[in-house]
Amino acid sequence: MKERIHKDVVIIGAGMAGLTAALYCGRMNLDTLVLENGLIGGQIANAVAIENYPGFVSVNGGDLIATVQQQAENFGAVIDEFDEIERVTLKTTPKIIETQEKIYEADAVIIASGMNRRKLPLPEEKKFAGRGVHYCELCDGHAYDGKIIAVAGGGNAAVDAAYFLTKYAKKLYLIHRSELRADDFSQKRLRGNDKVTILLQTDIKALHGDKKLETVDIFDKTTGEAKTLAIDGIFVNIGVEPNTALFKDELHLTASGRIPAGEDCKTELDGVFAAGDVREKQIRQLTTAAADGTTAALLAEKYLAKLKEAN
Amino acid sequence: MVKIYTIQSCQYCAKTKRFLASKGVEFEELDIEKDPAAREACKKLTGMDWAVPVTTIDNEHYVIDYDKEALENLLCL
Repeated sequence: MKERIHKDVVIIGAGMAGLTAALYCGRMNLDTLVLENGLIGGQIANAVAIENYPGFVSVNGGDLIATVQQQAENFGAVIDEFDEIERVTLKTTPKIIETQEKIYEADAVIIASGMNRRKLPLPEEKKFAGRGVHYCELCDGHAYDGKIIAVAGGGNAAVDAAYFLTKYAKKLYLIHRSELRADDFSQKRLRGNDKVTILLQTDIKALHGDKKLETVDIFDKTTGEAKTLAIDGIFVNIGVEPNTALFKDELHLTASGRIPAGEDCKTELDGVFAAGDVREKQIRQLTTAAADGTTAALLAEKYLAKLKEAN
Repeated sequence: MVKIYTIQSCQYCAKTKRFLASKGVEFEELDIEKDPAAREACKKLTGMDWAVPVTTIDNEHYVIDYDKEALENLLCL
């Protein structure tokens, strides 16, 4: 029999949005629990240098998130990164979040479960994550000024990331396993850059290096030719997946699998808020994730105050 | 003694270590970047180079990555 525990707020996800929400909820003396199935910090946990977060000239992603985590915990929020969520029931009051070990009854829920970029499906990916293999060109591109860069992927995000990275690269390879799916404008803009070589119908077979990435083995499926390219860094952009599988029976999702909610982060269900990259919106940055976390926490507190008055 | 093969920059290595510590499991950490013999031993165990974290209890049965259920089974938690 699982223990039942009441919480004012359960926050699902400990990325920037979730931890910022936890910080604010903690400051408002709400009994706050953060559940994280993956890595605390989410997508930025492996970012080498973040240079577009106000207040820091340059900050390591892990260091930044550790500070926000400490702020949240200092204000009383509890973070559990091991007890995985099995199911949620959000249409009731209180909301029910059942984990492997416990059943939480929460008066408000903030969903900040984020998105994951698909990883390169190679065993050595972990060795080079943050040291040659990157998933955020805005965060880490600057570290490759004057270097040889590759981008993996063929959609708009990959082609636009490649174009962005040409400002740093002395040479840039775009490597994709099939044909490009990006729109004509993006493709034309990239193809017009002399630094760029586009390798289509090409698989990435292996990564090599001592302490950081040095070479990439590729295989041209059209010619049957195998090659090794000297590369300082590869930015992987082979698709993203919103982490919303848990909520598909509770909330309507958009075509991209995200949660529809406005700037107030309110979802279709009272007392359920969506914050950060999981929310359907135009701009997804670390700063906007923090903003969402703030908004969701403050409006969750207002919701809880009204709930208390009604009872 | 439980052994865990790691590299320093691997966030899931850190999470696996925190998980073992939360369960009161004592373990020996072997950084395969700093210890070539450990890297070879890990490669021999798993058949894969640079696959981390690898947790083993007997140099025969092992778990790759942070996999809570597999770790609980391996370590009888």
